[in-house]
Amino acid sequence: MASVPLLSVSGLVKRYGALLVTDDVSLTLAPGEALGILGPNGAGKTTLFNLIAGTVAPSAGTIMFAGADVTTLRARERCRRGIARSFQIPHPFVGMTIYENVLTGAAFGRGLTERAAQDRCIDVLERTGLIRKANALAGDLTLLERKRLELARALATEPSLLLLDEIAGGLTEAECQSLIGTIRDVRATGVSIIWIEHVVHALLAVVDRMTVLDFGRKIAEGDPQAIMASPEVASIYMGLEDHGGAHG
Amino acid sequence: MAPHVKIERGTRTSRIAGRLALVLLAALAAAPWWTGRANLRLLGEFYTFVALASLWNLLAGYAGLVSVGQQAFVGFGGYVLFAAAMFYGVPPLLAIVLAGVVGALIALPMAPLLFRLHGAYFAIGTWVAAEVFRLSFAQVSVLGGGSGTSLPARLVTGIAATRDQRDMLLYWCALALGLGTVAMIYALLRSRAGLALAAIRDSEIASESLGIDIFRTKLAIYVATAAVTSMVGALIFLQKLRISPDAAFSVNDWTAYVIFIVVIGGIGTIEGPIVGAIVFFLLRETLADLGTIYLVILGMVAIAVMLKAPRGLWGSFSHRTGIVLFPLRRRVVHPDAR
Repeated sequence: MASVPLLSVSGLVKRYGALLVTDDVSLTLAPGEALGILGPNGAGKTTLFNLIAGTVAPSAGTIMFAGADVTTLRARERCRRGIARSFQIPHPFVGMTIYENVLTGAAFGRGLTERAAQDRCIDVLERTGLIRKANALAGDLTLLERKRLELARALATEPSLLLLDEIAGGLTEAECQSLIGTIRDVRATGVSIIWIEHVVHALLAVVDRMTVLDFGRKIAEGDPQAIMASPEVASIYMGLEDHGGAHG
Repeated sequence: MAPHVKIERGTRTSRIAGRLALVLLAALAAAPWWTGRANLRLLGEFYTFVALASLWNLLAGYAGLVSVGQQAFVGFGGYVLFAAAMFYGVPPLLAIVLAGVVGALIALPMAPLLFRLHGAYFAIGTWVAAEVFRLSFAQVSVLGGGSGTSLPARLVTGIAATRDQRDMLLYWCALALGLGTVAMIYALLRSRAGLALAAIRDSEIASESLGIDIFRTKLAIYVATAAVTSMVGALIFLQKLRISPDAAFSVNDWTAYVIFIVVIGGIGTIEGPIVGAIVFFLLRETLADLGTIYLVILGMVAIAVMLKAPRGLWGSFSHRTGIVLFPLRRRVVHPDAR
């Protein structure tokens, strides 16, 4: 792994009043690496993304990205530096077409003019399998298409770090497989990924390393196969997912 | 990757409408030669209301800033014109432009204060601000205090020698301002800024994480709207040749009627305020003699439209037929894209 991490989070804490949602979380991500995050509902996974992306401010801790301290930067400034995210519940711009959604990402996330962003947008639409729907209104999409749009819009900002929040949730097996293929292609272009997911086999197909969160704390981290075999994960995921050694 | 992908902006309907609009525009520009003074004044007033309604629509319908205090800028613009002309000898037509600049300058510090308020609180905050303007100008004795002032005769004749020439000049100013406002808003909504506004309207959290500066976008819209509203205000009181705090900062004339126009026509569409202004002027010109009954009828029309066509007259028509005269959408022309 490269010596300078792309992302380095240390001692991150988020409190809402008396409620401790993120409890002293530290993690690092090397350039080009893909990290999976597992954890039961309410473990603070999405809050961790909100902290990394800048949507909410931490109560304590620091976030270093690409060698700079971004802890106090706004979400839009972090986006311009190369952090992009998808939302667990898709937030498409429903009044726009798919193309215009992606154009918004390229125009503002990269600061491009419309003309300069045009080719990039078409390229992203082709890669994410949305080109046929380029002129459809984002409000009229299926769940898979909305998930793909989340991915496409994030990619249009040309991120070096992509945060995926349960992007495979609610998809059929075939849809999930096709999405995994797309995400692997994205990874192959050198984009680092942190992926929160309950669909464990999708994670195992992509990530190099896995972190487990519970009650806002990091309780395990390491090789995906080893993590899945660990007793902590077994106790959390008991009955939720069959995670025998057949995957990956 | 396809290098020769084209992005289309217009539609066939919009191109035909564009040509018809040019013909209509030529006819309206020539109005001084085919109609009398009374109609010229009425049309001039109509253009100012098209401008005010379009501006309010930009603010409320596109930027989500529902203000009921735009009369602050109408009145402020009017007073800037009177003060500049009376005390500094600025030619009145030039003072219209000056009113725009000063309007923007006063809106700039107001915006961060007002933006701390949201929804209904923002609306009431803007109204309070407008009342502060009214009460402040009522204290300025050189501008006539509470009873207001008239533009001195020497300044009026300074615009143009004869009354006919003056009427013509002010008519063209109103046409230019009305047309310019609609054109500016159309250009703005087709640009990157329009993309940002549409994104913010649909999801603030997604906009922010895609690099859009929400505060600056709204600030720019608020200040630009204030500037043009001030220019329209300056022109309105140049047409009237008299200004007073109650007339200048009237919530009825400059905001209630304007909201009526936008809601009737269709909020969030460029065509809506134009259609609404036509309906408003038709109602006013045919029913104004009825006195209070006229206001009752206006209210009933508003209620009927809100119940039967909540998108407004143009909004409902456009939704049903798919006809759009000012297309904003971008259409990808690509072998795979439908």
